[in-house]
Amino acid sequence: MTDLWPRIEGLIREAGRGIERPARYINHEWGCTYKPEAAYRFCMTYPDTYELGQANQAVRILCNCVNAVEGMAAERAFLPAADMCDLMRECGIPAFSLESCAPVAEFDAVGITLPHELAATNVLEFLDLAGIPLHSSERDDAHPLIMAGGPCAFNAEPYAPFFDVIMLGEGEEALPELLQLHRSMKAAGASRADILHEMAKVPGTYVPSLYEEVSEEEAQRTGFWVRPVFDDIPQTIEKRIWEGFAESDAYEPTIVPFTEVVHDRLNVEILRGCTRGCRFCQAGMMYRPVRERSADNIVSAVCRGLAETGYDEVSLMSLSSTDHSQIEEILRRLNHALDGRGISVSIPSQRLDSFGVEMAELVAGGKRGGLTFAPEAGTQRLRDVINKNVTEDDLFGAIDAAFSAGWRRCKLYFMIGLPTETDDDIKGIASLAQRAYDRAKRAVPENQRGNVRMSVSCALFVPKAATPFQWDGQIAPEEAQRRIDLLRRSVKYKAVDVHWHEPDVSLVEAMMSRGGRAVARVVEEAWRGGARFDAWTEFFSLETWRRACEECGVSMEGVAQTQWDTSYAVPWAHLSAGVTRKFLERERKLAFKEKTTPDCTMGACSVCGICPTPYSGIQTQEVRHG
Amino acid sequence: MADFRLRVTFNKSGRLGMLSHLELARALERAVRRADLPYAVTQGFSPHMKIAFGAALPVGVESICEIFDVSLTEYVPAQEALERLQRASAPDLMPRAARYLQTGEAAASVAFPISRYEVRLSVPANALRVPEQIVVVRKKKEKVLHPAEFIRSMRFGAEDGQGGECVLAFELEAKKTGSLRPDVLLDAMVKESGVQDARVLSIVRTEQRPLSATV
Repeated sequence: MTDLWPRIEGLIREAGRGIERPARYINHEWGCTYKPEAAYRFCMTYPDTYELGQANQAVRILCNCVNAVEGMAAERAFLPAADMCDLMRECGIPAFSLESCAPVAEFDAVGITLPHELAATNVLEFLDLAGIPLHSSERDDAHPLIMAGGPCAFNAEPYAPFFDVIMLGEGEEALPELLQLHRSMKAAGASRADILHEMAKVPGTYVPSLYEEVSEEEAQRTGFWVRPVFDDIPQTIEKRIWEGFAESDAYEPTIVPFTEVVHDRLNVEILRGCTRGCRFCQAGMMYRPVRERSADNIVSAVCRGLAETGYDEVSLMSLSSTDHSQIEEILRRLNHALDGRGISVSIPSQRLDSFGVEMAELVAGGKRGGLTFAPEAGTQRLRDVINKNVTEDDLFGAIDAAFSAGWRRCKLYFMIGLPTETDDDIKGIASLAQRAYDRAKRAVPENQRGNVRMSVSCALFVPKAATPFQWDGQIAPEEAQRRIDLLRRSVKYKAVDVHWHEPDVSLVEAMMSRGGRAVARVVEEAWRGGARFDAWTEFFSLETWRRACEECGVSMEGVAQTQWDTSYAVPWAHLSAGVTRKFLERERKLAFKEKTTPDCTMGACSVCGICPTPYSGIQTQEVRHG
Repeated sequence: MADFRLRVTFNKSGRLGMLSHLELARALERAVRRADLPYAVTQGFSPHMKIAFGAALPVGVESICEIFDVSLTEYVPAQEALERLQRASAPDLMPRAARYLQTGEAAASVAFPISRYEVRLSVPANALRVPEQIVVVRKKKEKVLHPAEFIRSMRFGAEDGQGGECVLAFELEAKKTGSLRPDVLLDAMVKESGVQDARVLSIVRTEQRPLSATV
């Protein structure tokens, strides 16, 4: 493979201080895997800069999986920062991988994870920089296989034309399967078309070029917006679940970056899946069933990982770590093992209803920065609608425990624009936050009360595929702004500050979340109009997206805001997270009746469709308590 | 507390020349942990490793004489500590010597105010001129520096360079009021001389030393 490093190094030196953070591009980090002799080469990509993507779990896991295959090597690639992209284009240097600094276009296959709805234009920026045709239909045998996966695969239609293959669900087994299929068919001289057809038969694999769009009328009649062009590929693609997760080693080879990145610590995945069943939450649907790794596995993985990386912080990762049935044991054992070494153990997400005095003590670890809780809604009524089963008592109990144990700062996450929301619910957020602040102050010695800080962070509700609220439209940005202003007026305490997400950005997110293949045309038009790094405030431009929508004859508001009846066939009906449509419909009905559904790992099975027989897919180490 | 202070001398070379001082500090701390050295930890609410670094090196400047001091709670023979560190280090950030400090020895960041740099250039070094003053921006304010105050010596021409490369060597003194960065000085010299297409190929700190006893 071509070594681009001499040219890239030259470019960086020439540019001097004109290129920010050159450490993004140098690789050679501790913990890198080099397999120069491997004949089949895979390039795993995160569609944003190094500092945002390096800690990404999918990148780490899938590189390790592919490197474990005989004769295969995986390398990482990230999108260079905007200044570097422009300079590379000027000098004719294509997008490159890190480990061997090889052009991305020289790889056998390229995998791009789709982490959120604003990464689409970056995908195109990356493909363009790599010199790879943007459309699957324009690629031939000289081009690598372009694959996608990750959360956005559950509504993949806005990305459909750009990818040869889209993988649904967990890739630990599926990715090596597909790559080995690719390798053997290529060796046998098979054509690209034949390879894609064969791949479409592999469970969990969506090959968009083999599914044609149908008319609106046919879509609503049959229930599907696209139809397979062959009889031997499925109408519905079901996500892959890696059955071996719980038994597998929690220790993963980890790369230690030189430059500062987000989540720059040892990340150990302790559990997968969350069945609390919050009705707005796509992750809860995408990753079920719940599977826990054992305390022994986790404790040993943390100790080994710290020894091998030299990190001073470890995070026990999952969607809801305090729900792990052995979490207290794990924290106790880790605090003991790491005592006196200046190493902190953190938990990214704590459930309010499982955060009590004991947890507060255990998660201490010396560094008491800020705690984050997510009540999501300001009134019990709305919390019941969204099935976020936490009460005010849970919140205040957690605050008592945390602030008595030494915390001083707390961040509360809420959402604005949830279905059935009224102004009372918005005022409820202010009331809850202020009462939480009062409670926090009471839990703290008088001379430290001035240090107590409470902050409220509001996201705008984005309806997501495979959730009970997938048929609900997003509220208009003007209405969102009105509610934000109402919230700000309602929060009287100076010590409680309010942050919110830009409604314009959320509008584009909602269009990407709910769109069909027509939105893919908008994505391309937006990119051609200059859109990239949309998740960065300094780059996002609603104007560019609006112009793109006009060019393509797509109504942004129409896609994002239209309220659909539950009988409406959604654009992603052919892509399944394993939960049934009936389940989603039932959950939505219950939402509007303000009735809650319990977590099946602690209560009755909610018949979501994921387990072959009730509870059979769940793997917890011990009994879970609510 | 009877901490043992180990001073480690290391190289900063190759691609890792592009690391900033903070990035370097972070990388070294991690190497110390990987080496499983019994490092001391500060007391208090947010315990962290007791490690101190030498004078900062800008992005793009390499070195064969960087230092850090790490406090250990137990005595590990210096050679063994060095070997453990080397096994845990990236090749371009390689420790090459280690010794324990005597009581009262100056801390890493202030012990060696004089730094010697060797520079490889794309044009003959004697084509460059040192300007009278250099304007730098510090904390959004413009500040005027006089190179003569910082430059202790300067030698033009191929000295230790191989194969006819153009080498320039100079010594800079870090003052209490501030320092003149070697890369800033070179950029100013290139600009001042007006030589077309003059490029700095590499800058390497080759020595750090204390102020001389006599001028």
